[in-house]
Amino acid sequence: MPIRGDEAEEKACRYLKERGYRILARNWRTRTGEIDIIAREEGTLVFVEVKARSGDGFGGPEAAVDRAKQRRIVSTALSFIEVTACELPMRFDVVAISPGQMRLHQDAFQVPD
Amino acid sequence: MFSRLLSGAVVGVDARLIEIQCDVSGGLPTFNVVGLPEKEVSESRERIRSAIKNAGFSFPAGRITANLAPADLRKEGVGFDLPIAIAILMATGQIASFPQRYLLLGELALNGEVRGVRGVLPIALETADDIDGLIVSQDNALEAAIATDKPVYPVKTLADAQQFLNREIEIASVSVDRNALCSAEQASFRHDLAEVRGQMQAKRALEVAAAGGHNLLMIGPPGSGKSLLARCMPDLLPALSFHEALEVTRIYSTAGMLEPGASLVWRRPYRAPHHTISYAGMVGGGHGIPGPGEISLAHHGVLFLDELPEFDRRVLETLRQPLEDRSILISRAGVSVRYPSAFTLVAAMNPCPCGFLGDPIQACKCSMSDIRRYRKRLSGPFLDRIDLCVEVPRVPAEDLFGTRTAETSACVRDRVVRARQTQWDRLRDDEECHSNAQLDGDNLDTHCVLEDDAELLLQRAVVRFGLSARAHVRIRRVARTIADLANSNTIRPDHIAEAIQLRTAGDAVPDF
Repeated sequence: MPIRGDEAEEKACRYLKERGYRILARNWRTRTGEIDIIAREEGTLVFVEVKARSGDGFGGPEAAVDRAKQRRIVSTALSFIEVTACELPMRFDVVAISPGQMRLHQDAFQVPD
Repeated sequence: MFSRLLSGAVVGVDARLIEIQCDVSGGLPTFNVVGLPEKEVSESRERIRSAIKNAGFSFPAGRITANLAPADLRKEGVGFDLPIAIAILMATGQIASFPQRYLLLGELALNGEVRGVRGVLPIALETADDIDGLIVSQDNALEAAIATDKPVYPVKTLADAQQFLNREIEIASVSVDRNALCSAEQASFRHDLAEVRGQMQAKRALEVAAAGGHNLLMIGPPGSGKSLLARCMPDLLPALSFHEALEVTRIYSTAGMLEPGASLVWRRPYRAPHHTISYAGMVGGGHGIPGPGEISLAHHGVLFLDELPEFDRRVLETLRQPLEDRSILISRAGVSVRYPSAFTLVAAMNPCPCGFLGDPIQACKCSMSDIRRYRKRLSGPFLDRIDLCVEVPRVPAEDLFGTRTAETSACVRDRVVRARQTQWDRLRDDEECHSNAQLDGDNLDTHCVLEDDAELLLQRAVVRFGLSARAHVRIRRVARTIADLANSNTIRPDHIAEAIQLRTAGDAVPDF
């Protein structure tokens, strides 16, 4: 049974809340792209990318968050910072969902050079 | 959330104190290293991040900037991994700040282990006055302890360093007994002269070369023992003094050629580069801050060039200046470094391209023009720096069998040590000249006093063999060493006679 994007995001949100994340926004979008979940974990602002795959080919869902995708997320995050004038430390997490599995990668990537 | 601590960098064989500053602040997660880092320093970010996480610490979210001051000095090497990681842990409160001025140096493995780096000895040596102690990898601990009186704390992992700085564990500082190291086993010989059959004249030439610091050229057919003779040379020289050993170790430390856990290079170096060696390989160079070349790796030791005419002419010509100055200045865009290069040159060549010219058994197959071309590859100014030139002929069959009766290296070295001491005493007040090979001009006249008969003999030889002024000076220099070996204050006729003999093979080479 394939997993649809919004279903996956719903699951990810529940999971993150259990882990103590406070969800601030979902599907925050600008012209440059979209951030699936924006949350706060203690003093850190976290931008979460949710990626789901129905099979386990191509190296799993994590493999889909490549350089280009990371750049898109970073530039969208920059717009968010501009709008909110946030000065907290920030982090990028990835939630990878494949059938029967959910993995949270904290600090999954940094701003690429 | 700012922290600072100390590290060090090598520029050639000199060292500079480097201050590492680290700032962790809010914002998108970035990790930048600034302060003119070379590629390997920029790459350290990935090692540092993994090491911090895998050692069980938390890597901070947000914006991290590490600055290596002074910012105008190019930073090379992987030794900044440990100090930058510690600075990050300090900036995030995982290590309390400490009052001591510790200098940290080490590469990090992804699992948080601390590995040895190059250049620790020069850094320890030159920063001793500015620091309270060093924290280095276990691999480098002895090397650092040799050079400084400040405590040296060896660490195995990043966690060790963190706990030590937080005073959660004690680490015993490493110390070495320098006197014990210096007097350590010097008597063993890598190759003994007694192993070489026959070749009495060549052996004597080696002895004279070792005693006076003269450069030597051996000419002979393949298989006559030239290489083996050369390999015996370093052990004929007196043992390195502590100061000399420190100089040699400095170069090897900079080049990253010390064994992990090694302390001091106490053996005279022997370097025998292949004749295809490049110009940069010989005198030093390479990417970034130029590294030492073979001539510096042979500092206070022996540089053996086999098949001398096969070397690139340009490579040989670059040897002229270091042979004279006993050091080399390598200048590149933005940086120039000086490496010491006080080596004794031992060179070997065949008499002709096929190698058998003048051989009693095998016929030479070369044409006259081949031979002329072969010998012309050596320039006059280069040969000018070589005092001794001997023939190393094929060993007669009868010498190859039967018991060996040759003198051992130990006997020869005793004489060499005495002769060196005599020179040292004689030249004590001279700042630049320490051996007979360096005698020139006024020095030569003052110290090479010939007895009347000897003067007469030399005059006659000059006329008879048509010797040049250059050859004449060389004979006097070598005769001085021979007299020193014989414990004679003045130079006697037999000393002159032997000195003339020890250059006869030079007639085969134009300009000698």
